Amino acid sequence: DALLGCQRSYRSRPTHGIGRFKYLLPKEVPKRRKEKVQMKEISAGTEYQYGDLNIQMTSYDLCLVEHFAQHVHRLCNRLSIRVNESYAMPTKTNEVLFLEERGSKMQLDAVLTTHQRVVQIRGLSSTFAPILLEIIQSNQPEGVHLLIKEHTEADFKSRLKSRPELEELLAEMS
Amino acid sequence: PCRAQPKKKKKVDVKKEQAQKERMKKKLKKLEKAAPELIPIEDFITPLKYTESNRVRSLPALSPEESERRVLLLKKWCLFKQKQDKAEKKAIQALVDSQQEALKELQLESEELYQAAIRRDEGLFPFERDGPSYTPPLPGYDPPEGKCIDITKVYTQ
Repeated sequence: DALLGCQRSYRSRPTHGIGRFKYLLPKEVPKRRKEKVQMKEISAGTEYQYGDLNIQMTSYDLCLVEHFAQHVHRLCNRLSIRVNESYAMPTKTNEVLFLEERGSKMQLDAVLTTHQRVVQIRGLSSTFAPILLEIIQSNQPEGVHLLIKEHTEADFKSRLKSRPELEELLAEMS
Repeated sequence: PCRAQPKKKKKVDVKKEQAQKERMKKKLKKLEKAAPELIPIEDFITPLKYTESNRVRSLPALSPEESERRVLLLKKWCLFKQKQDKAEKKAIQALVDSQQEALKELQLESEELYQAAIRRDEGLFPFERDGPSYTPPLPGYDPPEGKCIDITKVYTQ
């Protein structure tokens, strides 16, 4: 504050605001606090419109599933369907072991990673839904498993980290 | 003389229980204050081995004929893709138009059926479909016995 100091410059005096300098410095962008992960409201949808729908694409191939998710997102943009979110689910790793022909040892065959991408849309009209499904099906690449279902709270909770301590305490309290 | 001792025991027990309950409540409050975090996705984190090494691939120099051929090929491919995209958009528009026409005719025919057709289909979701495969599964194939273990890393907060 330039007005406070031993030499108080009055507003009528010519020396008013003599010590000001902050207006000369470049503008600082205010630091963004970490936004809390909160669940958005799930709309139920009216009789002629569906609520929140999740288009989940699963595959072993990362590039394919990523490109297909991008394609679906752009398609929805082009057809002016509102896309709430487009996120990735955590990858699952599976170790495949098979029994050797001679012997009882399990032999390591491969390590497979399953990737999943989700595109969440809202407000799909009931007449347009089968057309959209046809388009997505005709563009489906090989090995990509498609699943369309309604968005629920359980789906959102599966993205969050598990808190065993909290659950333990809650079990103890009740 | 027998009265004093049992009373002390009860007081101490009750106090201890209350203190324990308060401590648990405080712990709960602290844990609940912390917001839940999303599980980090391993796809988006590039493993370190791809950033450490300094090997760079040196590409061979292209002759002008080769680069000319490539540019012309690229242009042909762009044209082909554009035609494909336009055909797709036309097909979508045709689908939508024919659907609208059919609904109009239905409305003229009977109002009840039109209303029933406009409603949303509850049996449509959940919808599942496997992608087409390069090679269909062989009939009568006997796979070797084995098992799948899930080794996904479990994150806890």
